[in-house]
Amino acid sequence: MRRVLVALAAVVAVLLPSSPAWAHAQLLSSAPAAGAALAASPAVVTLRFSEELNPSFITIVLSDAAQQRVPAGAPVVAAATATVAVDSPVENGAYTVAYRVVSKDGHTVQGSYAFTVGSVSSVAPTPVAVAVRESNGIPTGVLIGLGVVGAALIGLAAYFALTGRRRAPVE
Amino acid sequence: MTTRRHLLAGGAAVAGLGVAAGAAVVATTGRGVAPAPVAEADAVALTTGTATVPFHGPRQAGIAEDPPAHAAFVAFTLPGGTDRRALARMMRLLTDDVARLTRGVPALGDTDATLAVLPARLTVTFGFGPGLYRAAGLKPPIADLPKFRIDRLESRWSGGDLLLQICADDPLTVAHTQRMLIKDTRPFAAVRWVQQGFRRSPGVQAPEHTQRNVLGQMDGTANPRGAEIDPAVWNPDGSTTLVVRRIRAEMETWDILAVADKENAVGRRLESGAPLSGTHERDEPDFAKLDDSGLPAMPDFSHVTRARVTDPKLKILRRPYNYDGAPNAAGHPDSGLIFASYQRSITEQYLPIQQRLAEKDLLNEWITPIGSAVFAVPPGCAEGGWIGEQVLG
Repeated sequence: MRRVLVALAAVVAVLLPSSPAWAHAQLLSSAPAAGAALAASPAVVTLRFSEELNPSFITIVLSDAAQQRVPAGAPVVAAATATVAVDSPVENGAYTVAYRVVSKDGHTVQGSYAFTVGSVSSVAPTPVAVAVRESNGIPTGVLIGLGVVGAALIGLAAYFALTGRRRAPVE
Repeated sequence: MTTRRHLLAGGAAVAGLGVAAGAAVVATTGRGVAPAPVAEADAVALTTGTATVPFHGPRQAGIAEDPPAHAAFVAFTLPGGTDRRALARMMRLLTDDVARLTRGVPALGDTDATLAVLPARLTVTFGFGPGLYRAAGLKPPIADLPKFRIDRLESRWSGGDLLLQICADDPLTVAHTQRMLIKDTRPFAAVRWVQQGFRRSPGVQAPEHTQRNVLGQMDGTANPRGAEIDPAVWNPDGSTTLVVRRIRAEMETWDILAVADKENAVGRRLESGAPLSGTHERDEPDFAKLDDSGLPAMPDFSHVTRARVTDPKLKILRRPYNYDGAPNAAGHPDSGLIFASYQRSITEQYLPIQQRLAEKDLLNEWITPIGSAVFAVPPGCAEGGWIGEQVLG
């Protein structure tokens, strides 16, 4: 059993260097929500993340369909939530919220989503895509793959260790 | 025995598989890459050791030239009661030593004359701290920096009445020069701190290539170049000023960042050094450029964005060296940057930049200033003259 544990430790040691990619903030919810069709202009945009944000390093940009910046206040951060006040009511149309935030552990996360105000005939009725550029180089799929490989390695390690014991002469 | 062998074999097999799995994600290993053929030694011209930088001139050497690979910054404390005449005696003696050593000639009374013959672009640059002016009964032209929010200054790396910046392309030349100059300074002043640093060795990269620091970042891309240097660095009388800051790199937390995190902190691509708004290292950062979602391509809080200087006269000439001390028992490195910048005026050029960086710069999460010192750099001298003659003469 001890050899199994040793082998297991070796597997973990090999896989650990890729683990930092697991720790970073994600956008959990927002108001307006991604793809929301609002009847009237929002007074604020609120973003809620999975991790506490560093209040010193945050950018939230509200843009209109012409990609012009909509005047808004400086972001106010409370733990994992960031809020910006929209300076004055916006006209009917399509808008994009883009954010670049840094979690307490220093990872940068950025992304964007769209919403509409009023009945906007010019905007395609299809759901608005949520574009999130993960700042980390290792996509989630690869991490899952690594996990699978890790599980396979643990199995192999156990096999090596156990067959090794069987073939070992009795001393 | 067999049991042990099996254990080792099993461990090796597991490790090997792990490497194979890792390689699929990261890159292939070095297998199949043949080492580049080594040039025959007798075909190489040995010019590095004998190269010299002129010492005499209206401006001190060791500032505008491409920095040599190795440096020692040596700061001294003057004892109470030091007067102007003692300072002049000290500077005459040190000037004579440096005029010889930079030519590859042993200093007077050089105890290891054989070490002096390879100057390897040796320069020694003198800086006067505020305390030296006070000792001479003069008003200091420079003042200690204000305390910044990010500072964790240690007295063992801070302050100083006299500074010698010793640079050469060979560490033994630096060591010998440091030894000789400390011996001759000893009757006048006590060693306060020594900071030794390095850059890439000569011949490793083309001279115009930008250095990398221990964080892997290109360091010095925004420096003034060519005709930009004079108005940014030199006063009409040939004097300038020097800021030396010891900046610890928090390698343990930096190492766990992904490449994109590191690039957002700096505002440049790690590999190419290009600003995040451009494609080449020397591309001017475009702070107005937005990506498709409306975010500025240069993050508001990145180091490059916060440090930007538009007026070339207000740029600073960074001439930093890396340091890498002994790691502690846990293997945590003692690494960082000996930040050295030359500028006409500390208050007009250096301070505004540093204040912006101290206020907001994502890179601050991984760097900590632990030492700080300021020096006025007097003009150079003609043959037969001495450094400081305009101030102390």
